[in-house]
Amino acid sequence: MTQSTTRTDVVAGAPRPRRSAWAVPAGVAIAVAAAFATPPLLASAGDDALPDITAEQLAERVASAEPAPLSGTVVHTARLGLPELPLTEATGADPVALLGGSSTLRVWTDGDERSRVALLGAASEYSVVTDGPEAWTYSSTTGEVVHYSLDDAGRARYEETAADLRAGLVPDVVGSLPTPEEAARTALEQVEGYSTVTLDAQTTVAGRAAYQLVVTPRDAETLVGRVVVAVDAETSTPLRVQVWSAQDVQVPALEVGFTDVTFAQPDDGVLTFSTPAGAVVREVVVPMQEPKDPGALAELLAAEPPAPGEPVDPALLPEGVTTSGTGWETVTEVSGVDVAAVLAGDPAALTALPESERLIGSDRAQDLISEFLPDEEQASAFELDTTTLYDSLTTEVPEGRLLTSALVSVLVTTDGRVLYGAVPADVLRALA
Amino acid sequence: MSPADLAPVPAPASTSSALHGPADVPADEWEPRRGAVGRMLRSEMALVFGRRRNVALLSGLAAVPLLLGLVLFVAQDTALAGQGPGFVGRVTGNGLFLVVASLFLCLPFLLPLTIGIATGDAIAGEAAGGTLRYLLSLPVRRTRLLLVKALATLAFVAAAVLAIAVVALAAGALLFGLSDLTLLSGATIPVGEGVLRMAGVVGYVALSLTGLVAVGLFYSTLTEVPVGAMAGTVVTAVVSAVLDTLPQLAVIHPALLTHHWLDFAEFLRLEVDPAVLGQGLAVQAAWVAVFGSLAWSRFTTADVTS
Repeated sequence: MTQSTTRTDVVAGAPRPRRSAWAVPAGVAIAVAAAFATPPLLASAGDDALPDITAEQLAERVASAEPAPLSGTVVHTARLGLPELPLTEATGADPVALLGGSSTLRVWTDGDERSRVALLGAASEYSVVTDGPEAWTYSSTTGEVVHYSLDDAGRARYEETAADLRAGLVPDVVGSLPTPEEAARTALEQVEGYSTVTLDAQTTVAGRAAYQLVVTPRDAETLVGRVVVAVDAETSTPLRVQVWSAQDVQVPALEVGFTDVTFAQPDDGVLTFSTPAGAVVREVVVPMQEPKDPGALAELLAAEPPAPGEPVDPALLPEGVTTSGTGWETVTEVSGVDVAAVLAGDPAALTALPESERLIGSDRAQDLISEFLPDEEQASAFELDTTTLYDSLTTEVPEGRLLTSALVSVLVTTDGRVLYGAVPADVLRALA
Repeated sequence: MSPADLAPVPAPASTSSALHGPADVPADEWEPRRGAVGRMLRSEMALVFGRRRNVALLSGLAAVPLLLGLVLFVAQDTALAGQGPGFVGRVTGNGLFLVVASLFLCLPFLLPLTIGIATGDAIAGEAAGGTLRYLLSLPVRRTRLLLVKALATLAFVAAAVLAIAVVALAAGALLFGLSDLTLLSGATIPVGEGVLRMAGVVGYVALSLTGLVAVGLFYSTLTEVPVGAMAGTVVTAVVSAVLDTLPQLAVIHPALLTHHWLDFAEFLRLEVDPAVLGQGLAVQAAWVAVFGSLAWSRFTTADVTS
């Protein structure tokens, strides 16, 4: 190339020497890779500067910590080993997506009665807003609002109950969303008696220094290998919960943790729910959770967790529900369930399901349900989704249909009993 | 060089009159001149926006929201009303959603195609037309020439996104009316803030196309066949979108060119998280840096013979 041999540096429009020019993109690529790789490496470097405490002290701190007002982003990852779900991609943000893969949630709470949790889809969102005795769910895909509230008696009871006992009175929301705090509470309920508690190395979660509490079941027959709770050193708020299956030591089967958290009072507008114009509102009135013998509410709320080696007091369980085994090995058996009818969206079958009787047991609520469910369009959509889901999740066994996962097994027997527990499938089949 | 290459060539069609002066200066006396880049950019803009096929392309893109709006308007009283992917089902309730719905529909293919056409023309098109070496004879360094080409292409792509958005907003307002915006979380914000959020969506979409522009420009420097560069650009976008759907490749998903494109939905959430938007833009910046420098290396070292 004759032009390039003379005055290469000065002459405009002429090509540069080759080698030096190609070094530039290589350098840029390395710089870009470094820029993206460095922050996670720094974040995971760990921070052992926290003062030493014992596992018992930490467990106590978590139990006694005041819930703090916070907002943040939570990533929920499930590797339960369930069959691929055919529907999750298409339906947008839906709690079903939590059964497999990674989901992102946003959490806002004032640390008291009001909170909002939103499950984010690519172009959709599913929100659960709680405000004391009331709760709403809103799905941007269907545009449907479900409003949960307590009946008059329940509301009166709620008003007069002390704040720390109210937690047991708020309405149960179908399709509620998990947060690290809630997951940690469930794990720590099992601590006493059935587990050994140890401390793991200090870590960093969402940029905050954290202690790690390891809860290992003492029972041999459970699928749960161990539960690791990362606790914020400053506020004692659980920041991440990992549940490891006994079958897989490489990655946690279930992980829910903050990737970003701010401890500050969220905006008031975030914590209030206003029904969007034109949305369909479904009212669900939750009857007061009346224990079997009247006046035993306080007893139920104050009930000590069962002593080690003793099954749960049957008086505290709803009708038709029995348990066997203890601690992590507990298997719950629910009888009298017409699974086919439940899947078909038949409201009559729902009344037979004791679990849900608690939710929609009153005549008034039942009327509402029957008013809404037989609606042609809704019923057919319900049927399509749940039956496909049920068939793809469960496998046929001689006793009925079986769902196995890394942490939980569920057996639905042909005679209408449902057995579930954090135990291998064989244990359920032997019990059935 | 073959003798044919040195034979007189008809005056280049693509260099406008503003650029003719310096071309007369003998090659050995070139010196970069002040103001030459500005003049070149102006002439390049006039060229890009004056091309008849580009004007047709912009009109075609602007017709998308119009067509979508009319279809939804006609069908709004039928059983199919309120259905459709993404935000399409919400348009009849609020014209503002026509902006997001149109961008949602154009993002997977039409906008990458637009980028392919614009970048393919930018350098490979000049080479195919035999005008690139005349451009190189101007008193402007190759780096700056590439920069001018990139800026003009980006301006065209931004104009394409803006055309879709503006027509969508107008059509949405006319056909369905603008009302308070219901966010994905169910909260409602006033219409003024809603328009601002839509402006955010448009800005984010335009910025998230910059990575593909850089990739397209690089392809454009590799070949003298503009169609090849165009196809390469479109294929890159489509392959990236396909890889994004494979769960086995979840590890590389966050780095994919198209992975964060739909994150414009962030503007429709209750609290817009700048971290989410920043992540998408950072990935685009990375692609721009890598492929921009690749294009630069290729363009500044290549022997241009046509």
